[in-house]
Amino acid sequence: MIFQKTAPKNNFNNSEDIPEEVLDIASQPKDDVETVVGPSVNVEGDFASEGNIIVKGSVAGSVHTSRHLSVEVGARIMANVRAGSAKISGEVKGNVKVKDSLELTSTARVVGDIEAKVLVVEAGALIHGKVSMPGLEMGDSKGGRIRGGKRAEEVAAPEMV
Amino acid sequence: MYVYLYDNFLRQKKFDSVVRSIEVQLTDYGIAGKILRLANYTDAKQIVDDEIKRGAKTIVIVGNDHTFGHVLSRAATCDCLFGFLPVGEEDNTIAKVLGIPVGVEACGVLSRRLKEKLDVGWVNNRYFVSQLHVLPAKVKVIYDEKFSATANDKMEVVVCNLQPFFWKNNKNDEEHQIVHPQDGKLEAFLRPLTKKRWWGYNYEAPSVFPFEEMEIIGKDPFTVEADGKVSKEVKVKIRLAHGKINMIVGRNRKF
Repeated sequence: MIFQKTAPKNNFNNSEDIPEEVLDIASQPKDDVETVVGPSVNVEGDFASEGNIIVKGSVAGSVHTSRHLSVEVGARIMANVRAGSAKISGEVKGNVKVKDSLELTSTARVVGDIEAKVLVVEAGALIHGKVSMPGLEMGDSKGGRIRGGKRAEEVAAPEMV
Repeated sequence: MYVYLYDNFLRQKKFDSVVRSIEVQLTDYGIAGKILRLANYTDAKQIVDDEIKRGAKTIVIVGNDHTFGHVLSRAATCDCLFGFLPVGEEDNTIAKVLGIPVGVEACGVLSRRLKEKLDVGWVNNRYFVSQLHVLPAKVKVIYDEKFSATANDKMEVVVCNLQPFFWKNNKNDEEHQIVHPQDGKLEAFLRPLTKKRWWGYNYEAPSVFPFEEMEIIGKDPFTVEADGKVSKEVKVKIRLAHGKINMIVGRNRKF
């Protein structure tokens, strides 16, 4: 019996040990619908959500949200990503298409094409792929065609200062 | 007309005084009615349906979480108003969520008739109102037939309908973390367990997925607890039921 595995203790129960003030906070509704992929959870398939997504684990397939996507440090996404806005601190292997602003922090690693209206890249972020900004393309096409056609850059692991 | 469904445990002597004072209070409020006693194997839906045919408009469940689950797991879709009188300090978490005080004070809430429509979840062949809990097991969760979530080892799944989800990072954690269920969808909370160095398990931070339909599949049978009822399953299909329960709730409800 000494070497028997201890059963995991349930330490979150909705039981009487929850203090009143916690229950009071609980009664205040939260307005954001959020999907969280926690660490050591693997998601496979077409991962779509109406609300914000926070990824801390790994996702394979495709990710789609009309709102904000946050890829935390240590998270891995092996999928094409489409989002309203995004902040990437983890690893993404696949094309990233963001409607509004995309923020890459110093720990971000993106292998794939990026398309975003606004791009913020912190020093230390790694990108391998084509970066295109449709907003700029549309603005230029009004004035006439640009030499070389598409305004796009091929960036390979840039050195940010 | 009011019909009161008493749980079997209320026959115990220690509940005599509470039950008697509740009955006096109900008579004072003028809402006393027919009393039926539930046994373990009675089908609540049949009883409720019969009483509705006889003219019952309000069905009041008297007991604890188990009674609540026992009656509403079958009778959730019955066309009537439900009330709840929680008795006994133990196993009465749903009453807190509904804002109904335990004991005689609940009669006041019942007489005020503050009505609220509640979402119900559907699991395999029955309804659940507050929460469904799958104890740690090696399971795979498929959401809306689109994507699946797995963990490297065991995983605990909690599906919340009315009750907010309380959790702690570990035993010594002072603060309770709270995640709110949102209306119109069910929320599934997944907590993977990682092995400690020698034996035992650690809980990871939970994942949250709002969904309308989900399937939990396990190679081995896993334990499912829905509204206090425990069963062993290999495959569980959970979805948001379209019907809603008409329920009398208190002002201090948590949703």
